[in-house]
Amino acid sequence: MSAAQLPTRRDEAWKYSDLRAAVGAEAVGLREAPDVIERLAPRTDVLNLARGETRVVVERLDAETGVEAIAQDWRVAEGAALVRVVLQTGAAIGLSLARVELAAGARLQQFVLAEGGKLARVETHIVAGEGAEVELNGVYMCAAGRHADLTSIITHADPNGATRQLIKGVVRKGGRGVFQGKIVVAPRAQKTDARQYHHGMLLEDGAEIFAKPELMIHADDVQCAHGNTAGGLDESALFYMRARGVPEATARALLIEAFLLEAIPSDLPGEAREEIESRIRAWLAEARA
Amino acid sequence: MFEVKDLRVNVGGAEIIKGLNLAVPAGETHAIMGPNGSGKSTLAYALSGRDGYEVIQGAATLAGEDLLALEPEARAAKGLFLSFQYPVEIPGLSVIAFLKAALNAQRQARGLEPMPAPELLKLMRAKAASLKIDPEMLKRPLNVGFSGGEKKRFEALQMAVLEPRFAILDETDSGLDIDALKIVAENVNALRAPDRAMLVITHYQRLLDYIRPDKVHVLAKGRIVASGGPDLALELEREGYDKYLRAA
Repeated sequence: MSAAQLPTRRDEAWKYSDLRAAVGAEAVGLREAPDVIERLAPRTDVLNLARGETRVVVERLDAETGVEAIAQDWRVAEGAALVRVVLQTGAAIGLSLARVELAAGARLQQFVLAEGGKLARVETHIVAGEGAEVELNGVYMCAAGRHADLTSIITHADPNGATRQLIKGVVRKGGRGVFQGKIVVAPRAQKTDARQYHHGMLLEDGAEIFAKPELMIHADDVQCAHGNTAGGLDESALFYMRARGVPEATARALLIEAFLLEAIPSDLPGEAREEIESRIRAWLAEARA
Repeated sequence: MFEVKDLRVNVGGAEIIKGLNLAVPAGETHAIMGPNGSGKSTLAYALSGRDGYEVIQGAATLAGEDLLALEPEARAAKGLFLSFQYPVEIPGLSVIAFLKAALNAQRQARGLEPMPAPELLKLMRAKAASLKIDPEMLKRPLNVGFSGGEKKRFEALQMAVLEPRFAILDETDSGLDIDALKIVAENVNALRAPDRAMLVITHYQRLLDYIRPDKVHVLAKGRIVASGGPDLALELEREGYDKYLRAA
């Protein structure tokens, strides 16, 4: 296979992230595999969680040059819980694909922090069994020249599952944020309770956010809600803070920080949470400078 | 202490405040009453420096210092406080974090060290207790999901912690039931001091039963058209604003 077989923007799943153009002349080897990112990854790791097991993993995409790609197949057995934190920070092409199979009563808590790269995409495909719980939050923050893409497909295959998804992002001039989130509720997945929210903030003129939320509901006794917004900073909140004495630049930073921190689950392991928060603060400090 | 001279304010190209004069001496509390659309909130926003409220003429000084040339945050640091008619929800920022940022920014602007965190927390808890605010609420995001009455209590809390020299209370009574109104009024009254002045903006007399003003001004069509003692508020409650609207 050659790079010419990578998707272009004509491919629906990649219409906001032009992978072929980004990879361009990079010397990459491609494997035969069902998913695009998998073809670029050196291997596909198969990872199993035993019944009732809890595991916390932190993955890093931090390469500054070339193409860095990770592909994983997770099988999470009955009642097991996977806590997955993905930190994408490198300026290069950073790609992560995880396919996660949740057995009955299994749980996935995922949090992605993406600073974007030449092209960065964190893609998650989940198939949730009976009563499985999915929490799929994330934050993207893109400076000039950075492109971050959070893509997910959650399929509730069996009854009584739940999804909570909250993605927040901020983008500066010349940066691009992408959110594609699909939730599929299969005909037999009655009593599914799914909520998906994406809120993007354009910090400057010339920032771009593309969002494609999709709910495909094939069962009739379900609760599904979704919300999607993209806009600027709340000017009334900004004035409120300034009227209390907080200088404009500090007020902006505090409001953006508060906006982003809302997406971080309070029960995320302390170390991961601290690293995420400090990365967000560092990014905002740089944005202020 | 606080003086406004011949103030004219445009909003969206229309003149809303049309030559307003006002003086509130130190130690006094004045009330501005007026019908809807008379310019009450415009006055409050223009004095605190909100974008879109364009001062085209006039002056506003606090203790002799010009306010109108300053950014909103600098006005606050000089001691100006606006209690908002509609306090803004700040998702993700706790009451504690918000007040800490505000107080320490003001202290920094005045050349003071930040207040140590334990001292600040103690101060907030004490002020919250006197406003009958559950201390647990201090950890919640500011105003998010608060009732109208709770929001007004938190405005009073912020005022008590920030200790401004001049406070403008814009329709503080709206959204408050009678018990909450009494509590908020008690706390506002507790802040009365010889070196502090207040301006209470209200539509109704009710609030003035609890925060007794030294003077009452009637605002109609962008100007103060009458001034008097507390009895003026009672007269307005009885007879309405018609007389003043016709004269304005």
